Amino acid sequence: MKTFAAIDVGSYELAMKIFEISQKSGLREIDHIRHRIDLGTDTFATGKISYDRVDELCGVLRDYGEIMKSYRVEDYTAYGTSAIRETDNTMIVLDQIAQRTGIHIEVLSNSEQRFLNYKAIASKGRFNKVVEKGTAIVDIGGGSIQISLFDKDTLVTTQNMRLGVLRLQDTLGSLNISPRQYEVILDEMVDSQIQLFKKLYLKDRQIENIIVVDDYISAIVGRNVTGLEESSVEMATVERLLERIRAKSTQQAAKALDMPEENIPLLYISGMLIHRIAKMMEASMIWAPGVTLCDGMAYEYAERHKIIKGEHDFEQDIIACAQNISKRYMGSKRRGETLEKIAMTIFESMKKVHGLGKRERLLLRIATLLHDCGKYISLVNLGECSYNIIMSTEIIGLSHIEREIVANVVKYNHMDFDYWEVMGSNGAIDREAYLTIAKLTAILKVANGLDRSHKQKCRDIRVAQKDDELVITVNTPEDITLEKGLFDKRADFFKEVYSIRPVIRQKKGI
Amino acid sequence: MAEKKDFQNARLYTNREKSWLLFNKRVLSEARDAHLPLFERLKFLSITASNLDEFFMVRIGSLVDMVHAKYDGRDIAGLTPKEQLLQLGTDTHDFMALQYSTYNRMLLPLLGQNGLVFVEHHEKLAKAQAKFVDAYFEDHVYPVLTPMAVDSSRPFPLIRNKTLNIGALLNKKGKKREETEFATVQVPGVLPRIVRIPSDKETQEQAITVILLEEIIERNISKLFLNYDVLCAHPFRITRNADLAIDEDEVEDLLLEIEKQIKKRRWGHAVRLEVEKGADKKMVRLLEKELELEEGDAFYVDGPLDLTFLMKMYGLEGFEHLKTPKYTPQPVPEFSGEETVFERIGKGDILLHHPYQTFEPVVEFIRQASRDPDVLAIKQTLYRVSGNSPIIAALAQAAENGKQVTVLVELKARFDEENNIVWARKLEQAGCHVIYGLVGLKTHSKITLVVRREEDGIRRYVHLGTGNYNDATAKLYTDVGLMTANEAIGEDATAVFNMLSGYSEPRSWNKLSLAPLWLKERFLHLIEREKKNAQKGKNGRIIAKMNSLCDQDIIVALYEASCAGVKIDLIVRGICCLRAGVTDVSEHITVRSIVGNFLEHARIFYFENGGKPEYYCASADWMPRNLERRVEILFPVEDPALQEKLKHILTVQLQDNQKAHILQPDGSYEKVKKRSEAPCCSQEEFCREAQEAGQDPKKAQDTRVFLPKTHLGMEI
Repeated sequence: MKTFAAIDVGSYELAMKIFEISQKSGLREIDHIRHRIDLGTDTFATGKISYDRVDELCGVLRDYGEIMKSYRVEDYTAYGTSAIRETDNTMIVLDQIAQRTGIHIEVLSNSEQRFLNYKAIASKGRFNKVVEKGTAIVDIGGGSIQISLFDKDTLVTTQNMRLGVLRLQDTLGSLNISPRQYEVILDEMVDSQIQLFKKLYLKDRQIENIIVVDDYISAIVGRNVTGLEESSVEMATVERLLERIRAKSTQQAAKALDMPEENIPLLYISGMLIHRIAKMMEASMIWAPGVTLCDGMAYEYAERHKIIKGEHDFEQDIIACAQNISKRYMGSKRRGETLEKIAMTIFESMKKVHGLGKRERLLLRIATLLHDCGKYISLVNLGECSYNIIMSTEIIGLSHIEREIVANVVKYNHMDFDYWEVMGSNGAIDREAYLTIAKLTAILKVANGLDRSHKQKCRDIRVAQKDDELVITVNTPEDITLEKGLFDKRADFFKEVYSIRPVIRQKKGI
Repeated sequence: MAEKKDFQNARLYTNREKSWLLFNKRVLSEARDAHLPLFERLKFLSITASNLDEFFMVRIGSLVDMVHAKYDGRDIAGLTPKEQLLQLGTDTHDFMALQYSTYNRMLLPLLGQNGLVFVEHHEKLAKAQAKFVDAYFEDHVYPVLTPMAVDSSRPFPLIRNKTLNIGALLNKKGKKREETEFATVQVPGVLPRIVRIPSDKETQEQAITVILLEEIIERNISKLFLNYDVLCAHPFRITRNADLAIDEDEVEDLLLEIEKQIKKRRWGHAVRLEVEKGADKKMVRLLEKELELEEGDAFYVDGPLDLTFLMKMYGLEGFEHLKTPKYTPQPVPEFSGEETVFERIGKGDILLHHPYQTFEPVVEFIRQASRDPDVLAIKQTLYRVSGNSPIIAALAQAAENGKQVTVLVELKARFDEENNIVWARKLEQAGCHVIYGLVGLKTHSKITLVVRREEDGIRRYVHLGTGNYNDATAKLYTDVGLMTANEAIGEDATAVFNMLSGYSEPRSWNKLSLAPLWLKERFLHLIEREKKNAQKGKNGRIIAKMNSLCDQDIIVALYEASCAGVKIDLIVRGICCLRAGVTDVSEHITVRSIVGNFLEHARIFYFENGGKPEYYCASADWMPRNLERRVEILFPVEDPALQEKLKHILTVQLQDNQKAHILQPDGSYEKVKKRSEAPCCSQEEFCREAQEAGQDPKKAQDTRVFLPKTHLGMEI
């Protein structure tokens, strides 16, 4: 059994959950401590977190440290989300915090953050049953919301929209309108974006269930239905709740719902969002499991340390997402699969040489799937365009730096490699990532070379390392002169990276 | 809606101060009850006196403040502060007259008959006694007296709150009579007020004879003012306004502020002057003027001032046959085994009923936690603790043993601040994390959480109570407490302490309801539910026991429930602003007040809930201050066996026909006296039951076997 602490440095709240994790009983939440601290306003307005806020943050983190000690916590993870992420002086602030409190905070990208929320949901037993029917996860944050769609039990797309509750409230506040008009304005603000989402991504998918992650509706839903089926309600119930809030003053509503007054407008906005989205999707059931980022962190930790084994294959979700992106940009599915196959074969056979792990393998797979997305924009500037598309597309579960790796691998598959002096100069990439890019690029280039004609001649290959050669045996009756002819240049880079020269041998069937 | 408005009509309510006076009158009726042992009656009379002191200091004081602030809002019974003061003036005068008639006509003669001679006036001392008294004055009293005279160069001295003084009018020897001066001397608090003197050999040889210290001083007053003629000398006493109204938002350091306030309290505005009946008018007028008193603030007392000395009298040895035998709180059968407190609680919830059962398990709970190597943390709220509290000692020990100890110390507990600050500092020094209350709220809840790391993970043990963690008052106040290892309550308890430490409230509560955020709504909901059930033709029933009932929203809900046919029995010891038995309003409501040897203090609530009864206990009364300005906890008791116990407590109290007073529709209280029924005194009944249970030989397991140590444990 392990005692684990998960700390979420959010935009308006600093939360910590203490868990006991064991094989026998899985994740058991022991304590949940929340401290209100508005980091977001500072960051979003000035790009910096003020000295006072950092001071407050350190004070609370020190207390959290004491609490961890009191529970004899063995391990912890601390993640910062958008407020920390969007701060200009992130590194300085984080270093200061680490020096003063001993707590090291890592920064989560939006997609990682949403992915953790998603993992927290998926860790609930009910998840698998819910996603049997068409399902969408609506993850409502302060700054933005994330809508993720499921096809059977696989995540197919996920989109971020700047419709966070705090943001909407700010906008409403700045409009100088009476609260009575809120509803109409809110509808207008939300609908345009949601309709767009419907047109682009939903198409004719049937969505029946909506899984809600938020801080407001979840609290109400979880409370009102205790005893009934766990935290799940029909859409009509949410509608009734909205009715009730509308009919009351903020003060009355706060009393009736046992909520702080300041939360009531946010509750209303959150409810409105869910309502609009559910209506657009024609969903009828709402499930609000009440999970938080901390739950996802604990799940991730337990999974990583092999204390628990999840039923759900999250890697498949990431792959499925990549496939969908590729599809959107008219990528060739067959070619992608061929490349994937070749690249994976090479990757597997060279484990000792490249020393890369499971995660890098996943990144390479994604790179193969997205290898030609840029052609949607331009056939000439394929590399640059692919890079830009990947960098502007959210791939759930990937951190920012991982996305950089994928985008660069795809880019240099089409272009000459830029060495550290160039690539490291803009600060987006560290040395480790740089080396990973080089290694993966080398493999992808070779794989690409083997399918120069895009005719999938080299689907059946075997790879073996012999001294300083990587012998790629292609089992095809077809003519591979083109591949062989253009292979050398690509092989050069491979040799440069691995000191091993790839050579092609053809085996013409039996 | 129109109906609701009707229920707020002022005539349906009793003013809370008047209701409080009625309560004190019920206490006084105990002093007047000839069935009671004489010394118990002295005690009750003493209690009425100290109660009345506090009433003047706090309640009258704040009404005076309101009048000064020109506030003329009406109270629940439709009275402005001015009107209340006017009515209370008459009532308190009448009340004090009744106190002294009880003293003079009933108790004093009885004392004499029982061999305790009380020399009321020094003039009545026999010669030998007078000689003794004068010598006592010279040797013991004179050295500690500080007489203070008032003249043009010396301003009127500060007369401290509740001190007894002797005022005198003096005339410089050889001067004309008109030029009188005033002088005052405080009757020293360091000396015993009751002085035992030799009995008069001729008449009362066997008796014990006593005189009050102020009489001795009065007799010798001329020795203090040698150059003067003493024209007259009379004891007087003033009561000052004491209500602390601290503006917490402006207070940087609460601790310092309260220390300051305590010093200031002696200076609060005087609201009552007590003087001996027949005291010199000129002197009284002078005091009234100097103390800025209003007409009616002076009370002419027919007897000794400050009857609280009777409590000391109760302590006199040799009169045990005139007292109720002392009751010893009984051991709790559940804890008679050899298991640790944690093992026992782990087996199932335990309900404690104090003072019938001993408070020891609660102290032991914390004591064992402080030593147990598996205990990670102890968290507790402390409101009023005893002087030499074993709980404080255990908490300090726990911190020294490396446990995380969090203690919320409520500094705002009325009149206890000085005491609280001392031991709060002590705890801090021991390494406890001390929270000095919450800004704007008094923390009145009584909760202890022990977090223990066991084989299969963290386990939480919780004690929730209706009374303070005070081992001394736990022998006098009736309270209930629940000890549980229930996971849902444990989670809530953790959340409570997170909140008290300044973190956000939890998203939801499992079992507990907290004031000021959720409790009132919860009660209203529970009452409303009974009303709805009654309207549906189901049985609606509420039994609620508490100390005070004066929250208007709750009362309106009760009136509505009564009209819907809910049968409501209230056991309210003190203030009750609700009117019972009023046609079309509260026909189905009964209110009874039990005043006995022990101070009724438990808050227990029963709701029928359509045949699935729910039982709750709480730290809160149905008063606005409890529901809106304090941190209070309501907790359910769910174990059927424990529910039975609570049911029994309520049932027996409803059957009490010895100490119960019933509220009449006209607002007065009358003692139940049904000769046809067997006498039932609930407090005695509970004593008897606890004794039986505590002495069950099966459960008393004093095995006298030494336990050999089988492994090297941690020795603390």
